[in-house]
Amino acid sequence: MGSWAVRRTAGAVLLTLLGSATLVLLVQLLPGEPLAAIIGDRALDPVTEAALRERWGVGRPPLTVLLDFFANAVRGDLGVSLSEQRPVAEVLLGRLGPTLLLGGATLLINFTLGTWLGLWSALRRDTAGAKLLTGITLVSYAMPGFVIGLLLVWLLAINWPLFPAAGYSDPLLASDASAWTRTGDVLRHLALPLATMVLATIAVPIRMQRSAALETRDATWVRAAIARGVTPSRVAWRHIWRPALGPVVTLLGLWLPMLVSGAIFVESVFAWPGLGSLIASAAASRDIPLVIGAGVLLVAVVQLGSLLADIVNRLLDPAQRNR
Amino acid sequence: MLITRMRHAGVALCLLALAPAVLSAQQGTLTMGIRQDATVPVPYVGPATAGNALVTDQLFLRLTGLGTSGSTVGDDVMVPELARRWFRQDSLTVDFEIDPRARWHDGTPVTARDVVFGWESLRKPVLGVTQAPFALIRSVEALDQRTVRFRFHRRSSEQVYVAGFLVQPLPAHLLAAIPADSLTTSEYARAPIGNGPYRFVRREPGQFVELRADSSFFLGKPGIARLIFRLVPTSDAQVNLILSGELDVMTDAPASALPQLSRSTTHRILHSPGSFITYLLFNSRSPADTGTPHPILSDARVREALTLALDRNRIASTSFGPGAETPRSLRSQAWYWLGGGKDAGRADRDRAMRLLREAGWRDTDGDGILDRNGKQLALTVIYPVQSPLFAGIGVQVEQMWRAIGVAVQLEPIDGPVWLQQRRAGRFDVDIAGAEQDPSPSSLSQSWSCASAAEAGSSNVGRWCDPECDRLRDAAPASADPVVGFRVALERMAEWAPMVPIAPTNRVVVHRRYDNVTVRTSRAWTALWRWQIRPGAALPRDR
Repeated sequence: MGSWAVRRTAGAVLLTLLGSATLVLLVQLLPGEPLAAIIGDRALDPVTEAALRERWGVGRPPLTVLLDFFANAVRGDLGVSLSEQRPVAEVLLGRLGPTLLLGGATLLINFTLGTWLGLWSALRRDTAGAKLLTGITLVSYAMPGFVIGLLLVWLLAINWPLFPAAGYSDPLLASDASAWTRTGDVLRHLALPLATMVLATIAVPIRMQRSAALETRDATWVRAAIARGVTPSRVAWRHIWRPALGPVVTLLGLWLPMLVSGAIFVESVFAWPGLGSLIASAAASRDIPLVIGAGVLLVAVVQLGSLLADIVNRLLDPAQRNR
Repeated sequence: MLITRMRHAGVALCLLALAPAVLSAQQGTLTMGIRQDATVPVPYVGPATAGNALVTDQLFLRLTGLGTSGSTVGDDVMVPELARRWFRQDSLTVDFEIDPRARWHDGTPVTARDVVFGWESLRKPVLGVTQAPFALIRSVEALDQRTVRFRFHRRSSEQVYVAGFLVQPLPAHLLAAIPADSLTTSEYARAPIGNGPYRFVRREPGQFVELRADSSFFLGKPGIARLIFRLVPTSDAQVNLILSGELDVMTDAPASALPQLSRSTTHRILHSPGSFITYLLFNSRSPADTGTPHPILSDARVREALTLALDRNRIASTSFGPGAETPRSLRSQAWYWLGGGKDAGRADRDRAMRLLREAGWRDTDGDGILDRNGKQLALTVIYPVQSPLFAGIGVQVEQMWRAIGVAVQLEPIDGPVWLQQRRAGRFDVDIAGAEQDPSPSSLSQSWSCASAAEAGSSNVGRWCDPECDRLRDAAPASADPVVGFRVALERMAEWAPMVPIAPTNRVVVHRRYDNVTVRTSRAWTALWRWQIRPGAALPRDR
């Protein structure tokens, strides 16, 4: 297990480096005005335009850009964002909190409530409750996230103003408000985006857990456990749920990047200051340093998610653990 | 005696009754939605985005402001801001005297040196400031602590406008030691110290910018104590925040949301003349070879026919709502002070078809598309894919031109690629929009023979009419500059290089505000005069 983990981690690091290098090189090939974020369609005289291009390093050979990127990245310098006029690392860090909150809470609910509901509906396969749950989850999964978001805003922010319609925090909150007040305020703002994200995605872990649990339900070790007189709840959680967790853990690993990229449409509906909308606007305005910085972060998170999923799967499955 | 005392008591009671109203009129909050973050709200230093401009206008004053007419011609049309008066020394020299009460927010007096520093800063290429508007200025010199002298290259009725409105002072005592290429990332850029009615308090990147009224502002105490500019990038989210009562002001409300917003009991919609202009630009050069005339659009009859085929009124109202106009030339509503020049905007398909027949275009093969010498009358219309507004206009244009036998291919292009493609002149028709500068002289940047000859200039349609150039350039120094500009614009209209639509500023405002003024150019420079109506304050205003 130990040597496997070292080899697997080294592979993940290598893939991250290769992915980052590919990204840096590919971004150089993007068509369009590289200083669109700064000059837009303004008329600039040739001297001014040349000075701007030199300052922002436009037109350098791709290999130079790549080497400079890695040399600076080692020092934590990912360049300066054209649109934000701040260091890229600082911009990304600023968006990380809202992103982790929304993405993390979504993942947490999806993989706790989702797996529990999946197991519950597998154990009560033919009951009306299980069929109703399947119907509801399929309908919510079929609806685009932004439609669910708009419906929730209309219902719970405009008609019954229980929650804020958009934003991450109340800008009118006093600067000396207590930590509790601030936390409560952020949670109120989180409610509708989180509900939207969960409604739009929870069907996947439910369905996956349900089908995995249905497969293990008829396994010989389950029947043996029941014959031995093991209690139903122990059979459910120990003999059905645990072996059926593998596919869900793999899914969790693949979904980790959602923590970083977020859900662009949900962020757009709720003006949630996450990384998803930042990446989308950076790409649209050709804020190349920001696109590269965010892209590298995504590559790293994808690798990390995949690595964690593999490790957890190995820990859960004794057959893999001893291989 | 008793009567006098009772009168005094009555006056005192009245004053007591008025006191809360007066108090509330000097307090309160205004929350406005912005679509682009105010990343660096400092003149010349930050990227020239709408978000930066809006916040900059609250933090920084100019030497002079625009008057209510919005006119830029004449020495007396501008109103004092940082400069309390100005004196013309001769036809090429104007001195501005800075108001001794004017202070930077750190308490340092605004001086002539700050004006010179602002001028020197804007000329540094690394800051990327468009230089064309300043071409009139020859030099800027501090005569003493409070007097700054502008010398000009030539006579012009716009000298005071160019010097007083376009050149903004920057705090030399804070910025002189910072290299120009480090200004945008400096600590000053993160927490700017200005000289305007509001002070910078904080910015939460990606969320909001907060400003506080400067109670010692020398032109008077601002009516609203706190301004919050909330970053809400999409119109839909802004409309939701208006409907839920969390936003006080929304700019550029989409036409599709106006019916819903008009039913609001808490907000009202204000249509005021604006400086935005949208247009369909006809390329005068061939997209395949910009050295040769456009094979279809260089014919004036075709351009006129294409214009007449459009129900511009319908396009204007469906895209921008009521109040949008169809001017005869490239003239936003900010240039109302020029007078004249409105067009009926109705479609005249019969005349359009006649003109096309005269130009040799006929449907010889019966496929519904006109052709000439075996070539179809087909045009490609480009626009940035990020703009749903332009997409909507494009669809209407396609249908209306198709009705007279013109094949249209709509080509939505990713924004930065669209910028590159239009600059290279690779299009037939381009849908674009711009905030017009207050002065019609600014047309020379994108609508002159000099800019047509310059590679990569913003004259992307390569339009060139030497006579129009002559009329426009002569106007500021003529006996009647207003008439001069009007004649130049009429000349431009005759050539019809584009089909313009001039929308209003569609502003949604909470009903509790009084003294609401939205200016035609630099719309939010009068925000500091807004007030909360007595008795209408909300809990969040206290």
